[in-house]
Amino acid sequence: MTYYFDELIVSEIRKKNEVALRELYKTHYPMVVHLVCSNSGTEQEAKDIYQEAVMAFYERVQQPAFTLTCKIKTYLYAVCRRLWLKKLHEKKRFNGSIEEAESFLGVEDEMTTIYEKERRLKRMGSSLNGLGEPCRSIIEDFYIKDSSMEEISIKFGYTNADNAKNQKYKCLQRLKKLFFEDFNN
Amino acid sequence: MEMEMSELIDKYVKGQLSPEEMKALEEKARQSEIFRKIVDDHVELVDAMVEYGKRMELKNSLDKVHSDMEERVVPIQKKQSGWKKYWPHTAVAASVAILSVVGTIWVNNFMNSAQEAEFKALRRNVDQIKKSQKILEKDIAETKKKRKGFAGNYAGTCFMISRDGYLVTSYHIVKDADSVHIENEKFGTIRASILFNDPANDVSVLKIDTAIWSLPFTIEKEEANLAEEVFTLGFPREDVVFGEGAVSALSGYNQNPNSYQVSVPVNPGNSGGPLLNNKGNLVGMISGLQTETLGAAFAIKSTVLLEIVAGDSLKQVITLSRQNSIRNANRVAQVKQWKDYVFMVRVFKN
Repeated sequence: MTYYFDELIVSEIRKKNEVALRELYKTHYPMVVHLVCSNSGTEQEAKDIYQEAVMAFYERVQQPAFTLTCKIKTYLYAVCRRLWLKKLHEKKRFNGSIEEAESFLGVEDEMTTIYEKERRLKRMGSSLNGLGEPCRSIIEDFYIKDSSMEEISIKFGYTNADNAKNQKYKCLQRLKKLFFEDFNN
Repeated sequence: MEMEMSELIDKYVKGQLSPEEMKALEEKARQSEIFRKIVDDHVELVDAMVEYGKRMELKNSLDKVHSDMEERVVPIQKKQSGWKKYWPHTAVAASVAILSVVGTIWVNNFMNSAQEAEFKALRRNVDQIKKSQKILEKDIAETKKKRKGFAGNYAGTCFMISRDGYLVTSYHIVKDADSVHIENEKFGTIRASILFNDPANDVSVLKIDTAIWSLPFTIEKEEANLAEEVFTLGFPREDVVFGEGAVSALSGYNQNPNSYQVSVPVNPGNSGGPLLNNKGNLVGMISGLQTETLGAAFAIKSTVLLEIVAGDSLKQVITLSRQNSIRNANRVAQVKQWKDYVFMVRVFKN
């Protein structure tokens, strides 16, 4: 089966075309709002869940081995549904079942990766938050934004790159401690 | 030392090492377990950071898309100023609405409990009649010798279901009775004993020591049909009274599946009376009426009666009639036959 529109979206997203992502996002958002809001959720919660699913999809599309096995809509619905069930379960408010419009095989494996990733991202977020400034900015600049040590030492006003390196090293050690301590608990 | 190592691994992660350095590092990792662990942790940490960075970037762009999307719904948001302006009015309106809703619910509940259909047992309190009877007694000197004090506290109806002297009536008539007497034109007054009570179905089985040759009717084993014509005989007063109507529902009070609703005019005293169909067969027994609904009386189904009299709980075998000799007779002839087997029940209690 081929889904021409979906194929187009996927190939454009692979090229990191922002417009395609935007269109994808807009197209399926109402469906998820409906799903969440008609199952004791708010629009804010729908937004969070939907973004999570879209990001998971986006990241999956970036993988070289990715092929489209079903409609994007089906994928997003299945993932959102599972995410929302989990959320409801955590809220201990769930005592029914959200009807499945289309059964989507293979979403089980997908969910484990999504949950794992979510967990790891959360840990990283809280570890970075626990780091405090200027550590956080230094670390982010160096590792995420790929700035050089020279740029960093100028930006943060260190007298030379070695001081900055020293500071970065200490920060990294602290982050390591925070991250793995949290992560393994 | 460690710092230098960390720097080296940073370079490794970022792919900035020369092939020789890379080889040296990998060799070292192969040899030293501890070093490998440090490298792995470092790599994992950096990976997680990079992932986090990408995710944040993606989230930002999605947030932007989302806010763009919501901006289009601006008209609704602009109304917020109107909402702010009118919120006191709205609050008042809302509180009135809530009050009225809550009030309605409360009143409804209250009314429901008050209006709960009262199920009035058709038990005739004879005390009132006794009074007027006493006045009559004064006038008729003859009555002195007979009947004096012989009016039970309660009266109802019962009828024969077998030729060996078994009768059924409503449980609410004979409940807590000290003694039960039954009476009609043919048999006169007979003392009856209560054999079995089924309060759940409001049925009692009575026994008299009189046997007869045969009964002219049978008990229907099938449920009656809706709109089927039925009639009854009972003792709402000292004389037997005929009433007719139809089966108006196949369930009774509160959807009780063991009863019919019938449109037969009944009065206190009709309880325990037989409900008969066109063939003169027994289809039920009058048990009560609903006070707030006009013309809604209830009758226990003959199938339920059969279960009781034929069931094990009675501990006695009742010979039920198998033949109906009045099937083709007209209503008058049927009633003429039937009224010999319908009795007034007098119950004495202290």
